[in-house]
Amino acid sequence: MGNEKTKIKKLYALSSGNRKYIFSNPLRENIKIGNRKYEVKLKQDDKFGTYILWKNRKYPVEVVRSRQNRYEILFNDISYTFTIETPFGYKRMRVLSRQKGRKEKELVKSPMPGKIVDVLAREGNQVLKGEPVVILEAMKMQNEIQSPVNGTVIKINTKPGVIVNKDDVLVEIKVEA
Amino acid sequence: MKIKRILIANRGEIAVRIMKTARKMNIETVAIKTSVEPSAMYLSYADVIYDNTEDESEIPVFLDIDKLIGIALKTGADAVHPGYGFLAENAYFADKCLDNNIEFIGPSPDAIYKMGNKTIARKIALSSNIPMAMGSQGNISNEEEAVKIAAKIGYPIIIKAASGGGGRGMRIVRKPEDMEKMFIIASKEAEKAFNDPSVFIEKYIENPKHIEFQILGDKKGNIIHLGERECSIQRKHQKLLEEAPSCALDDRLREEMGSMAVKIARAVGYYSAGTVEFLLDSDKKYYFMEMNTRIQVEHPVTEEITGIDLIEQQIRIANGEELKIKQKDVKIKGWAIECRINAEDVQAGFAPDPGRIEKLSLPDDEYVRVDTGVTSGSAIVSSYDSMIAKLIVRGSDRRDALKKCKLALDKVWIKGVKTTLPFFRMLMRHPKFTSGLFTTSFIEKDLDQYYHNSEYEELLAAWLATKLFIEENLTDDSIKPDFRESREIDPWLLNKRISQF
Repeated sequence: MGNEKTKIKKLYALSSGNRKYIFSNPLRENIKIGNRKYEVKLKQDDKFGTYILWKNRKYPVEVVRSRQNRYEILFNDISYTFTIETPFGYKRMRVLSRQKGRKEKELVKSPMPGKIVDVLAREGNQVLKGEPVVILEAMKMQNEIQSPVNGTVIKINTKPGVIVNKDDVLVEIKVEA
Repeated sequence: MKIKRILIANRGEIAVRIMKTARKMNIETVAIKTSVEPSAMYLSYADVIYDNTEDESEIPVFLDIDKLIGIALKTGADAVHPGYGFLAENAYFADKCLDNNIEFIGPSPDAIYKMGNKTIARKIALSSNIPMAMGSQGNISNEEEAVKIAAKIGYPIIIKAASGGGGRGMRIVRKPEDMEKMFIIASKEAEKAFNDPSVFIEKYIENPKHIEFQILGDKKGNIIHLGERECSIQRKHQKLLEEAPSCALDDRLREEMGSMAVKIARAVGYYSAGTVEFLLDSDKKYYFMEMNTRIQVEHPVTEEITGIDLIEQQIRIANGEELKIKQKDVKIKGWAIECRINAEDVQAGFAPDPGRIEKLSLPDDEYVRVDTGVTSGSAIVSSYDSMIAKLIVRGSDRRDALKKCKLALDKVWIKGVKTTLPFFRMLMRHPKFTSGLFTTSFIEKDLDQYYHNSEYEELLAAWLATKLFIEENLTDDSIKPDFRESREIDPWLLNKRISQF
């Protein structure tokens, strides 16, 4: 595999907002903006943990999650999610995304332990992406749990007053075609 | 000083805040160690720690009146400070303390009861000629009555829970045809939240500012006000940023509203620290909303511009001392802003983000004050509120305070949980906020994005993700960035985030 690794000359970082960043492999410690090159470094110390040094300022960085080629990076307290692809992977991904059908069913899960105070969704009803389906009380706050997709509610697995754990499936939604 | 030892019936930053002042006054403190937070920072400020970790009750000890009285008696505390939240505005708790010869550091049980019940408070304000939004005389018993009264007042109206607070049991109604349904919803919600289904109706004031006055009164009947705080930056009735003074008030209006606040406090024989809340509309007309009979989260901004330690005053008043500060002595100097840094994910609509604080570094500039109950390694647990720290910044005027606040926000370094920091960074750059022309509907109506990220941040994050990919897949050497291994991928948060792009 050793030779294969060195053959990869560039990598694509695809953001969840569909922006594409291209970097060379091996990765350079500078980024060109306009006509100027700026140095960028990943550093670490006891007080701050890891940080990125950029234009004489330290920015906190953390990896919130990583799975295979997907990374959620917390940069200066904001999350960014990327998929990293090799040129070959990138091409394949584009072909696949044209062929692959979409997910049929979406499970709305409880993001944290808490108590259900209200169920707004009704079985059989249409919901829009972003529409609140359940109200969950946790940490003294009422949180709207929203539908991640446009679709039809096919099953409700909870009711007001129920104590739920993280990741309990609350509502099942059939994704609109 | 008769008071020798205070039981702190609270936790977190407010417990620390109270104990700091007690120490300054040479009064001992007792803190309660719970199994939820056995190594919490507030414990290190106490002279005596009462170990309650064996307690397996479902109800937090800070809400258990009998247990708290028992602890006070066992540890020889002669006073109790309730802080805010929990039992701070529970008249029965205050009464129980007094029954057991324990000084309650707060107002009388009678004042707590009267101001805690919103319909009684309305009646008192009405008979004291305090300006108020038009509303129902008392509680409303059924839908028909609600529809009739709402028609008389004129829409939009707001339905509020008599025993309410924090936005629960509250509904805004704009059309007569929604009235019946909303009345039933509000009443049910009030019953669930406060064990009391009573609701009343008020004219809804559109786009007001939230202006509140800090009151201090002693047991001899002296009452003064310490000026106002502006708390219009709120989301779902939860305040996020407060400042003092408010740019909406001039000296004349300040004096008038302040004297109204004193008047209503006097009507209930108020002593200790308290807050009278008003709504201020675009014509600078003000309306009494409610009185909070406790020390408030945002009290530091008043302390910073008046130089008065409110906790010290509360203790002295409870001790029976006469208020030494006269109204004419109260001088407002400079400007103070408080940002509530909470463990919340602003990219996911402020969803709570409990977890362990892995790294914490706070600014120590002379213009900054930080009130906190956590340190590196502390946990933000889901059983309590999501407060990490209050960042309080002082400036010579509003412009100066905003400038310093912006600088200070960039010096706060928190790892392990997501925080409201990006929200405040956005706020400091938002023209409507910096102009001072914002109202309580600011977050709902004036924002396209809840957070600030400067140019190139996504690019730099992409660089890091690529670096990690190369190191994990294509080479061997690396610095491994701080990683939250305990966390699973969370489709709900992710979806919410993605939907915001």
